[in-house]
Amino acid sequence: MIPFTRTATGSYAAGFTHVETEIIADLAAQIAGMLSPLVGSDDPLFAAVGIGGTSLLNDDPAIARLLPDAYGDDAAASGDFRRLTEQSLATRKVANARAVIDSLERTGESLELSEQEAQSWLRTLSDIRLTIAARLGIESDGDEGATGSDSALALHDLYDWLAYVTESLLDALDD
Amino acid sequence: MNQTLEGTELREQTVLDQPWITLVWNDPVNLMSYVSYVFRSYFGFTRDEADRLMLQVHNDGRAVVATGSREEMERHVEAMHDFGLWATLQKADA
Repeated sequence: MIPFTRTATGSYAAGFTHVETEIIADLAAQIAGMLSPLVGSDDPLFAAVGIGGTSLLNDDPAIARLLPDAYGDDAAASGDFRRLTEQSLATRKVANARAVIDSLERTGESLELSEQEAQSWLRTLSDIRLTIAARLGIESDGDEGATGSDSALALHDLYDWLAYVTESLLDALDD
Repeated sequence: MNQTLEGTELREQTVLDQPWITLVWNDPVNLMSYVSYVFRSYFGFTRDEADRLMLQVHNDGRAVVATGSREEMERHVEAMHDFGLWATLQKADA
């Protein structure tokens, strides 16, 4: 990967190999796929206002981390808030993941992002890393997470590389 | 008299409107630079203030990043969840 830089026109450019673009697009698609069932409602009125989410924290630890409780000390208030906001939060996360995929399809290995796309990238990179961490069992500072298989070690490499991509984009945004 | 009454109402309103806080909690995943960036770009903190709050999250496990009405704090918490940060709201005295 060639790190992100801010271009003269205010966009953010970076270079990826073809394999790297496929990996990021695939991970973003997995986030979109994981959250899609939580998006939208059969009831058009509820769908229009984003109401109709579930009231309980999801059983899947990755989804639970991406759509956490809003009230740390009040389960009833968390449930009410979730019913009102979960679908719109999931919808925005899916839209960010799709914006990442679209930007990769549009510009390919010589990636160039608008300011808005860069914001979608930041959020989706965080969502991807949170999901990988949940799969590896990284729950608190210093946790190494699962390392007992080749696939776990490959996920660790991916997790660290995505941190590097994030740092690179943050550097360009702060430039 | 009228002015005094209005003044009293205004103070009470302010007191009633301010009892909620937004907390951001430490997580092992999000980068320190990212958390600081979110605090700067979303809340408009200076780099020094954002870094101080980020380090407070990192070292103490959590930090209060906003105080205000319940509705405002709900908006902030939802925005933090957009960024993937772990945030909650609660009453300030809880």
